[in-house]
Amino acid sequence: MKAGRMIPIRFTLNGEKRNLEVGAAETALYVIRERLFQKGTKEGCGIGECGACTIVVDGKSVNACLMAAPQLDGRVVMTVEGLGDKEKLHPLQEAFLDHHGVQCGFCTPGLLMSAQALITKTPHPTEEQVVEAVSGNLCRCTGYQQIVDAIGDGAKKTGGEE
Amino acid sequence: MTRPAYARPETLDEALLFLKRHGDETRPLAGGTDVMVDLRSGKLKTPYLLDISRLPDLQGIALTEEGLSIGAGVTISEIYTSPLVAEHAPSLIKSCAFFGSPQIRNVATMGGNVGNASPSADTAPSLIAHGAKAVLAGKNVERTVAVEDLFVGPYRSGIKNDELLLRFILEPAEGRFSDFQKIGRRKALAISRMSMAVLADQEQGGAFRSIRVALGSGTPTPMRMEKVESFFKGKRPDRQTLEAGAGLMAQEMVRITGRRPSTVYKEKAIQGLFMRMLYPIWKK
Repeated sequence: MKAGRMIPIRFTLNGEKRNLEVGAAETALYVIRERLFQKGTKEGCGIGECGACTIVVDGKSVNACLMAAPQLDGRVVMTVEGLGDKEKLHPLQEAFLDHHGVQCGFCTPGLLMSAQALITKTPHPTEEQVVEAVSGNLCRCTGYQQIVDAIGDGAKKTGGEE
Repeated sequence: MTRPAYARPETLDEALLFLKRHGDETRPLAGGTDVMVDLRSGKLKTPYLLDISRLPDLQGIALTEEGLSIGAGVTISEIYTSPLVAEHAPSLIKSCAFFGSPQIRNVATMGGNVGNASPSADTAPSLIAHGAKAVLAGKNVERTVAVEDLFVGPYRSGIKNDELLLRFILEPAEGRFSDFQKIGRRKALAISRMSMAVLADQEQGGAFRSIRVALGSGTPTPMRMEKVESFFKGKRPDRQTLEAGAGLMAQEMVRITGRRPSTVYKEKAIQGLFMRMLYPIWKK
């Protein structure tokens, strides 16, 4: 049984193996941002209502703010840093730019992660499925239509490349 | 924020032994969607978090001789996508469809939803309407309780400190009408203002052979509306009868909960929601 105030964990973050000790009540979000310095994942509300901290854990979208850090142990995790890089954006990211799906940008990494989880499972989502997939992500700027369009388009382009 | 210690048992036996020793100072942790919120706010102060999210004994959905068995650690997403649940408990599928958000459904468990004992627990009305029983385990003991009886008061659960919820056993619908309805302020991420579920059995001519109606968020705990149930027994679901039953729902809610500032709204809402829920039966 793993037990204690500090817990050793191993997990995969964006393809890289990570080993570290985490506090029992630290959140996955805290560990990703403050211990591993991956600042793409944002903290909005901290209580699972805004989706800004959405990450993909074993293929599923999850609020990192509601996940205890020790629960990362053994998991395969993707954050927005794992999607594209500075040289080449992911088709989803390109589509967000093309469709003006980004205004202030704070919700964008979380939305991209919800979108990524969706298209991994459903490569050709209907608009309804896209709306459903991002229903746990709040955006206070765009009014959502641009985001929904972007994800639909990004999904097509992602499928086309593979 | 308090700094609890964390423990992740490999087996159910290990978990129950831990609870036998430290049950009074332990909070089980599964999806974390309630626990982590309460830890952050300071509402929950606990020396230990016992991570039960990986215990195999709490997993699985199966149709057994006892009924439709759903592990306490099964996530809301897993329930929502289960063909077995879709066939045997349509009402529960619906309550999972409007539960929190996709991110929350991916980790939140039905055991957690019931164990947290919120008056607005989304899965409760469907479980109660399906006559669900909860199987609980302590070290070397097991007991079975009606789900309704685990809701002792708002956020007060009947689960003992040294017990874990193992699974739920639901009566399969077997052709009966099974439905769930909810009013929230929005579609996603909305605490339900009112929810209800029904499991109704009709005779050839349409008269109710039996009906179970459960209400959530309208009373201090989710519960069966027994007066409404007995009112309907043997009656045919014409519009007048349904409206009278809806009126009785409102009366019962006010009798049990008392008059509150929200009653003006809820008295009407409960009737509208009830009519909406039973509309498919009336239409038939």
